[in-house]
Amino acid sequence: MSIRDGDFIDELRSTENSRIGLYVLLLAGIVFYLFPVETAVMTMFKTESAFARTLPFAPPGADGFTLEALSTAWNTLRPGLLNSLLMAIPATIMSALLGSLTAYGLTTISWRGQVGVVVLIIAGIFIPYQAVLVPLAQFWFQVFPGLVEGFVNTLFGFITGGSWQYPSRNGYVQLLQLSVTHAAYGIPICTLLFRSYYQSISEEMIEAARLDGASAFSIYRNIILPLSLPMFAVTLIYQFTQVYNDLLFALVLINEPASQVATQRLAALTGGVIQSFNTTMAGAIVAALPTLLVYIVFGEQFAKGVAGE
Amino acid sequence: MAQLTLDEVTKTFQDDDGEIVAVDQVSVDIEDGEFLCVVGPSGCGKSTTLRMIAGLEDITRGEIRLDGQIINDQPPARRNVAMVFQSYALYPHMTVRENMAFGLEESTDMPDDEINERVEKACKDMDIFELIDRKPGELSGGQQQRVALGRAIVRDPEVFLMDEPLANLDAKLKAEMRTELQELQQDLDVTTVYVTHDQTEAMTMSDRIAILNDGVLQQCATPLECYHEPNNLFVAGFIGEPSMNFFPTTLEGSTLKGEWFEYELSDETVAQVEGTTDITLGIRPEDIEFVQSDTGSNVFDSTVHVVEPRGNENTAHLQFNESMDDQFIATVGGMKQLKAGQRVKVRFPENAIHLFDTNSGQAIRNRTLDEIETVESVV
Repeated sequence: MSIRDGDFIDELRSTENSRIGLYVLLLAGIVFYLFPVETAVMTMFKTESAFARTLPFAPPGADGFTLEALSTAWNTLRPGLLNSLLMAIPATIMSALLGSLTAYGLTTISWRGQVGVVVLIIAGIFIPYQAVLVPLAQFWFQVFPGLVEGFVNTLFGFITGGSWQYPSRNGYVQLLQLSVTHAAYGIPICTLLFRSYYQSISEEMIEAARLDGASAFSIYRNIILPLSLPMFAVTLIYQFTQVYNDLLFALVLINEPASQVATQRLAALTGGVIQSFNTTMAGAIVAALPTLLVYIVFGEQFAKGVAGE
Repeated sequence: MAQLTLDEVTKTFQDDDGEIVAVDQVSVDIEDGEFLCVVGPSGCGKSTTLRMIAGLEDITRGEIRLDGQIINDQPPARRNVAMVFQSYALYPHMTVRENMAFGLEESTDMPDDEINERVEKACKDMDIFELIDRKPGELSGGQQQRVALGRAIVRDPEVFLMDEPLANLDAKLKAEMRTELQELQQDLDVTTVYVTHDQTEAMTMSDRIAILNDGVLQQCATPLECYHEPNNLFVAGFIGEPSMNFFPTTLEGSTLKGEWFEYELSDETVAQVEGTTDITLGIRPEDIEFVQSDTGSNVFDSTVHVVEPRGNENTAHLQFNESMDDQFIATVGGMKQLKAGQRVKVRFPENAIHLFDTNSGQAIRNRTLDEIETVESVV
């Protein structure tokens, strides 16, 4: 009996040990991920001289503390932040919504040639940004204005007398173009995410709804959409981060200083000849705030979506 | 009020190897208010048939008519049928109330308060009123089953279609629901097509049974007809639990020669089977008699192999020979004691045997039946 007790205690001890091991590992993980963030936060509150004489991760101390870097970064980034949100939020919602609708049409409704469309959409995920830059710029700056002008002239030619011009250099129009570009570019990956989720939805339930008299759109609106909220959280977070962090499309499509997005502003802030680390860090932190916020707001739903509940 | 007619309904699927026939020229007339069970082993085409009636599958050939109107090309929603699925197929994000109201909201322009009234009435009928504001995830299997039935009832359809609705319930609940479903169907008097692989369900619930095998309709008749007068070997083996015993024999003169026994036929029976030599003899377990002596014809020696007591009766697995492959089954009253290893004499009464053409499987002679007795009502 005593031997057995000993075994039991050993076992208890070993589970305790493995638990301690787990916590050590988790702690190490936290340190690994948060250490650079802590360093950035410390640096952004330091004066140039304090940065030079203290360790990067050490607090600034009373004499080395300043809010100047933060306020410089904030003032430089603020218009860009607003533009970024104006561009990224509609783009994200559009890709998620269109992706979900496309996925619905490709899974729960059956029609001829579906597989071909799925293949094309999956191929769309792998088109590199660089490959489309030139055609994209050409499209938005020449083909599209031409189309709009032609359309307007044909329809309202006698009213405008050819005097109306498509405002391709208008800042908001450029933001809209960037937004639409991102929305279109996001559709394939969103479709793929939603498709795999919809394939797991019970087919009998959809059939029950059809027998209940629901139209294809009503099934989407009343059944599929409410059931895909966790998946929306996943795509919203993923797509928002993608769109918000993009610099390449923004550089090509936006040439009006007033409509520059946050990433462009950040590049301008850090791209000077003289490196001032405190403003760079402050800029990075400020620019990261919206994505951080999105993660916090949708985090729980995100976890559900990833876990496939 | 609806009469449902299947007229040579055929369904084929395309496969890499060509065409697969899932349902082959099935014709059945289902009377108004009738309860028809479609039974068969898995993959026999019974669910496909049901789904064609519902409009969830296209019909390759043939016609489905509801009250004389061809409904082949009508979408499911226009057919005015309600279906209960094996998985219940409830909408998980909606409450019981919303689940049941959904069909009425989508298919009618009934005002909300009338919908609500009907849903509440159906809930009371199904005894689930106290669950009305819960979601399916919070209900037990049996309760979900009731909601699924309620959802069908509330629509007040012309035809009920049920696809193995009791398959996911435990044995006791299944038996309860069987009775309840039967009562419900009688009360509502709605034409019902019920698909199951369980012959007990088919026997106990239906007005008529349609037995399918490999997409072909084998027999469509009342439960008693299917039991006592099966069309062929398949029906004879499928209906009844434990199954009918079959012995392959050859006819020589007036004797059926089997591997382990010789069975003497009367002149009358010989006349019936004339022209067929390969004959399968069938006898139901409860028709096998245990006798004490060799008096009378067709008495054989055998050994009891295994006994399964069931309380009201004992199921005995018997052998003519000690080899394992000639087992047959007999049932005797529960109070009759049998022991494994015991030698017994069994008699196959001639009026209880079925004879089938071994090659075609068709029944040549079915058992003769006594007059059906009715239990007199007490005044």
